[in-house]
Amino acid sequence: MVASGLAALATAITAHPRDARALDFEVQSDTAAQAYQVASPWGDTILDRRRLMQTLSLGVYNLQGDHVPGRADFAVVLRVRLDADFGINGHLGDADRGGETSYLTEAGPGVRFVPGLQQAPVDLMYAYVEGRNLLNGWLGFRAGRQYVVDSLGWWSFDGALARVTTPYFVQAELYGGLEQRGGLPLSTSRYERPGVWRGNHAGFGTAGDQPSVTDFPSYQYTQPAPAFGVSLESNGPSWIHGRLSYRRVYNTGTSVTQQFPDPTGGYRTAKGLRVSQDRLGYALDLNKSDLGAIKGGVTYDFYNQIVGSYYGGVEAYLGKRATVGADIDYFVPTFDADSIFNWFTKSPITTATARVWVAPTQRLDLSAYGGVRIWMADGDPETFGTEQCRASGLCSGDQEIDPSNSKTFTRDPDNREISTTIDALANVSGRYRFGTGEVGLRGMMQAGARGHTGGADLSGEKRFDGGRYRVGGRVSVYDWNDPLRPDRGATSFGYVLGAGVRPVQQADLRIEWEHDMNRLVGQRFRIVALLNLRLGG
Amino acid sequence: MMMNASKRSSVSARKTRRPSGRPLPGWLAFVACLSALVLGLVGPDASAQAADDAPPAESAAPPPAPPPGGYKSGLYPMPNDAETPLAFMPPGSAATPVPSEEIYPPQTITIRFNHKKHTKDLKQTCKSCHAAAFTSDKVADRLMPKAEQCDACHDVDHSDLHDVKAGTDANGQCVFCHIGDKAGEKGSVAPMVLPNANLVFTHKKHLDRNIQCGQCHGQVGELELATRDQLPRMAGCFSCHNMSGAAQGQAKGACTTCHTARNDGRMITSFTTGNLVPPQWMHNAAHTPDFIERHKSVAANDSAFCGSCHTTNECTDCHDGRVRPRKVHPNDWLSIHAQSARQDNPRCASCHQAQTFCGDCHRRVGVARDTGSGNRLTGRRFHPPAAEFTTAPRGPNHHAWEAMRNLNACVSCHTERDCATCHATKGLSGGHGVNPHPIGFRDKCGAAFARNPRPCLVCHQSNDPFVRACQ
Repeated sequence: MVASGLAALATAITAHPRDARALDFEVQSDTAAQAYQVASPWGDTILDRRRLMQTLSLGVYNLQGDHVPGRADFAVVLRVRLDADFGINGHLGDADRGGETSYLTEAGPGVRFVPGLQQAPVDLMYAYVEGRNLLNGWLGFRAGRQYVVDSLGWWSFDGALARVTTPYFVQAELYGGLEQRGGLPLSTSRYERPGVWRGNHAGFGTAGDQPSVTDFPSYQYTQPAPAFGVSLESNGPSWIHGRLSYRRVYNTGTSVTQQFPDPTGGYRTAKGLRVSQDRLGYALDLNKSDLGAIKGGVTYDFYNQIVGSYYGGVEAYLGKRATVGADIDYFVPTFDADSIFNWFTKSPITTATARVWVAPTQRLDLSAYGGVRIWMADGDPETFGTEQCRASGLCSGDQEIDPSNSKTFTRDPDNREISTTIDALANVSGRYRFGTGEVGLRGMMQAGARGHTGGADLSGEKRFDGGRYRVGGRVSVYDWNDPLRPDRGATSFGYVLGAGVRPVQQADLRIEWEHDMNRLVGQRFRIVALLNLRLGG
Repeated sequence: MMMNASKRSSVSARKTRRPSGRPLPGWLAFVACLSALVLGLVGPDASAQAADDAPPAESAAPPPAPPPGGYKSGLYPMPNDAETPLAFMPPGSAATPVPSEEIYPPQTITIRFNHKKHTKDLKQTCKSCHAAAFTSDKVADRLMPKAEQCDACHDVDHSDLHDVKAGTDANGQCVFCHIGDKAGEKGSVAPMVLPNANLVFTHKKHLDRNIQCGQCHGQVGELELATRDQLPRMAGCFSCHNMSGAAQGQAKGACTTCHTARNDGRMITSFTTGNLVPPQWMHNAAHTPDFIERHKSVAANDSAFCGSCHTTNECTDCHDGRVRPRKVHPNDWLSIHAQSARQDNPRCASCHQAQTFCGDCHRRVGVARDTGSGNRLTGRRFHPPAAEFTTAPRGPNHHAWEAMRNLNACVSCHTERDCATCHATKGLSGGHGVNPHPIGFRDKCGAAFARNPRPCLVCHQSNDPFVRACQ
């Protein structure tokens, strides 16, 4: 309905005589059809995926009339998406027909049911009106569903954002609204913090033919999540840029807490306004164009009271065609404040690498980096004793804490010393570009106590007739092994063949065929067809 | 003195070639017409032959030949194609030694010209030849001098480009300036090809603000030939154009101040000569082959900078994507991804919400623990045996170590209930009382409980002494 309305609007707009229009329009349609099979980890082919994704974008720019650089301008943009999988329920027989999306089947209630799973969800990816360069460049705004991208991540909300740009090397942003959450109308869960499984409980109830919240106590009700944020950002000098960001999001409404029923069969809940995330981030970039650069960023999680991540790097420019550098990345998993996982013992993952980039010619450039990934654990797995819990005087067994014991629990510090394991990792990538095509290579390796993954892709594309026709291919070999699951190790060989045509400037069609093979799943095929249409712009 | 004399004679000769403006005498015109009529009657070709065969009065003396080996000066910026000192190059050349082909498409320069001689020896200014620059307000304006302008000093007549008349002096011969063995042969020379820059630029505004030529083009007066190398570099532009928004003043710093723009305000980046990408030094955003792994630091710092060229759609294709991007996930990703998640490479949470994106599929295929009974795969277990991986005592392969090292991987399949089975307190909370909290938890739990008590109440009863201690 929305899509057809937009299409009609787009047609009406683009049919308008060009000379008479005061506005600029762009309408874009992206269609992706995919068919492939998903096998279980043991090789059984159990899901047929028949996916159709259709997005439709509309942009109306320069609502004020002719664009004058530096003067105020206004725009409206939106993008809607249908992401259907007609393979959902497709593999089920008569007894449990429709069971993945319907609770009640002949085979019994809920035997195949996946709460929140939808066959053809539609979401509004973004839709906002924007004003820029208002008040002589001091003010800008956005109102509607929009993204915010900064050191706190890729995030979406419904609301308004105001940006004040001053002549004093700083600009500020202030925004507020509701976080986009899965289960709300025209929304996805992509932008929620991890750790909590939320969704739409439509159809849930207490009747026997309905799923009950107590059947899925971890599946939380989606409720509107008020959010706000502020940022200060440097503005002006090209050799330095920094952004300080703060964001807070609240959870509201009722949430099931207790995961198991009490003696009366009831489940306890928590209600009211509570923090979902409360984080501060800063990112900085310094560069001297003939020397090199320094970059860095850090986030602090006020709820977890820890530095959640940081990264940094230095680069030296060895002429125009070579760069060397070193980077570090530190990350501790943090979750939505409703999640218990915040308070599980968890350790940072630290990655340190050195990097080089060279471009021997204008057509050829190569990058490579290598380093280590450091894993940490609270204690040494090899020496951790079975007596630890018992020795504390709190446990009724080897590891089980007696909740009736009020004694302060302290683990033996000797067994809480940090132990580390290290993976070696390396990555190499390169490309050779010629006038009508490109050849690319990407290889990676990561190996350590947690197993190894390694492999490479060789890809190429050739364009004909000024880009009207394209053919491409990709060959890959990957090998992996996990000591915890030795039966899951395999070597995979795969190839992709693709062809595309651009019959007119506004249309682009591409078809790809993928064939992968490994000992776990045998042969597997995937076909992808992509059609992009664009008018205006 | 000799030069002045030579110049006078050249000018005199040129004047004699040019029409004086006086009509031919009547009797001479009559004789000429009559002769032509007679010759035309004898044979149509005869008249033309007669005209062609009649040697011009001045062709008796051969034109001066170039020196042996040809002219040497003005062929390159520096004599003998020596490297141009950085001090003579446009500002910003240290960062960008060679100008971008996307901005300045390749040129074909078919003349030699010695700027140094003209400015130092002959005391000419930039404006002497490039006066058009002082009134130019767009890149499509022609700023090179017309050939006729050279005639003021050179012994040649370019007034009719279809019939250029070389003089007798060496400096008036075609090969004196035009390059090529056959320059001037049959009246033709190789054309100059100077494509417009893919920019928005007004020379007039800059010159009106007393920004001199050398501030953008470098010390052209110290060079012989000016080439693409003498075109401005972006790093040089940034010495003034480094502000944006309200701070921008006269030298606006927005990308589209200089770069051509689309209707939505983004830069046009695709040109016949290639795709425009940021230079190495700009925001650490060189689009190297490994940029896909590095781009997060650029976007985290200044996503608006990314938005100068990229649409939001390009970001969401991966970050909220529904078609697997091959540049991120290789072939056979369905088979590989479990090990990649375990090795945190790439980090799943960058693009996926684990509980839904990962969980929905894992529940369907029976990998997740809370999958429906019909989806469970009998006799199959994803993890090592329970005695080794799940239950006490905690050996080297116990899940506790994996959870501590990479809790995100656990969360992609497991919900709270799976973990609360053991880690919740005993009694009403339904667990086995296995404490998962880290060292230092007691110092933090008070503030955490005040902000959000919900996770505490998943595993503890509200009257639990541990919870009370945190309240």
